[in-house]
Amino acid sequence: MSVIEVRGLKISFGDLQVLRGINLTVEVGERIAIIGGSGCGKSVFLRCLELLETPDAGQIFIDGEELTAQGVNIDKIRRKMGMVWQKFNLFSHMNVMENLTVAPIKLLGMTKEDAHKKAMELLAQVGLTSKEEAYPEYLSGGQQQRIAICRSLMMNPKVILFDEPTSALDPTMVGEVLAVIRMLAKKDLTMIIVTHEMNFAREVATKILFFADGEIYEQGTPKEIFDAPKRPKTIAFIHKQKYFSYEITERAFDLMELQGGIQTFAEKYGLTARQTNRLQLCCEELIYEMLEHVCSGENIVEITLDITYAEIDNSVAIKFTCAGKNYNPLDKNFDEIDEENLGATILKNLAKNYSHQYDGGINKINFSLA
Amino acid sequence: MEFTDLIYKIFLKDGSWLTILNGLWVTVQISALSLLFGTMFGSLLCFFRVGKIKLLKLVAQVYISIVRGSPVLMLLMLLFYGVFARQGLSPIIVAVITFSMHTAAHVAELLRSALMALDKGQLEAARTLGFSKFQAFKLVTLPQLARIAKPVYQSTVVNLIQWTSVVGYVTITDLTRVINNIASRTMQPMITIIGGMIIYLVLSYLIYGVFHLTERRQKQ
Repeated sequence: MSVIEVRGLKISFGDLQVLRGINLTVEVGERIAIIGGSGCGKSVFLRCLELLETPDAGQIFIDGEELTAQGVNIDKIRRKMGMVWQKFNLFSHMNVMENLTVAPIKLLGMTKEDAHKKAMELLAQVGLTSKEEAYPEYLSGGQQQRIAICRSLMMNPKVILFDEPTSALDPTMVGEVLAVIRMLAKKDLTMIIVTHEMNFAREVATKILFFADGEIYEQGTPKEIFDAPKRPKTIAFIHKQKYFSYEITERAFDLMELQGGIQTFAEKYGLTARQTNRLQLCCEELIYEMLEHVCSGENIVEITLDITYAEIDNSVAIKFTCAGKNYNPLDKNFDEIDEENLGATILKNLAKNYSHQYDGGINKINFSLA
Repeated sequence: MEFTDLIYKIFLKDGSWLTILNGLWVTVQISALSLLFGTMFGSLLCFFRVGKIKLLKLVAQVYISIVRGSPVLMLLMLLFYGVFARQGLSPIIVAVITFSMHTAAHVAELLRSALMALDKGQLEAARTLGFSKFQAFKLVTLPQLARIAKPVYQSTVVNLIQWTSVVGYVTITDLTRVINNIASRTMQPMITIIGGMIIYLVLSYLIYGVFHLTERRQKQ
């Protein structure tokens, strides 16, 4: 039987549709990592599973019981799920031992001794037995998060939901928390992890969900998603692509504004000075080449420029369109170089994987920076 | 020698000390009862103020801004000479009603600010563990609310004691009135009034001391 089943889950806040119909089945022992840009609804999805947000439509089944049904005992179903928060959310007025034992004693009827024993076992597993008496404010973020994981394990949950468990941590403390989650993964605990740690997701998860536009945009094994993403938004996300676009509508366009825009874009994402120079040079030469040969004599022009920078392999791709007659600036005999063709020569030497297409009155030129 | 004679004459002779003790008792009575009812009524007000029912919210808001925005002596006179003028209520009861109303408005506001300072995440954490709304309130909200609200509550209590010094206006013989009477009888306002102030000071520091004790016990 599946631990979690979600059918057609929809939720909106005001006019904003955050989730537009999520369907998901989580089987016992599955470890699902949810990735996606900020604001794609991945955290809201976890909050819906705990019914901290009330969905507008759809059904949620936890271990066969419908959480979204009328008159159901939500508190009882929630005990089957553990939740680990970005901000730990330990009870600040209780020490570590009280944090761990309060729920099993009060909700599961565990005796104080049993709960204490179990808590000590869990603390030993995460290496924090010495902190039994400490209050959360005296613990580091990494320690607090490890305690928080123990707190949810105390209830013997069928599934644990992790909501960006390392996002609020110092980089030095991320490792210790990930190690604990890895340890749980080895024990085949069912879990859903919302995370920005791609390498970790790849290593620990059995299935990756990529959220975009309020839906599961693409899903698959870690290998499928990270090595061969299929849909454009997944590719852009996995390759950490950044975009810059510029549109030219008249011959007397503001070249300085364009160059400045490219400069700012390059600085923001850490392109090298050489890449930046070449990028600016290419764009300038290409634009003037097209203005001269395709739109000669016209004042109104239609040129678009899209630059994509992929952080993951440090590559820059340029997509260029220009309306007008068919013209390929590199379609020349470059053996006879003369002053006239200087721009085209520069372009030829800087472009890699160059392609030109003429389609419906528009020249489409694609290449990447050498 | 002369000074100690004077002290004896003002504070002890002919049962002066008994009169002072009686006045102090009246002050303590009014303060304690007002604190009790004021805190209860204030919690209720706060509940309305942050609640979802629009009408109650508005009523609480208007009540709090009127009471907090006007001198407590005016409220006392309004109730004593106006609202309850024909009922023949004892002045002390009117004073307790007045100061309860006044304290309630302040308590409601201090509770509301404490509520806003609360970490919602911990409440959600308790809910996801499986605690019901009420259990989570008892387990997380209440103890944390008490801890946040305590320092402000402490000064509300001390302020309340000091504010009660105006009840002499409605014929109540409280500590301030007694001191005033003695001062005019003995023609020694300096020493008498300083003596009265010391009694108020001791009372205030007693309150601080009590709060301090509970804090230490909590830490242990």
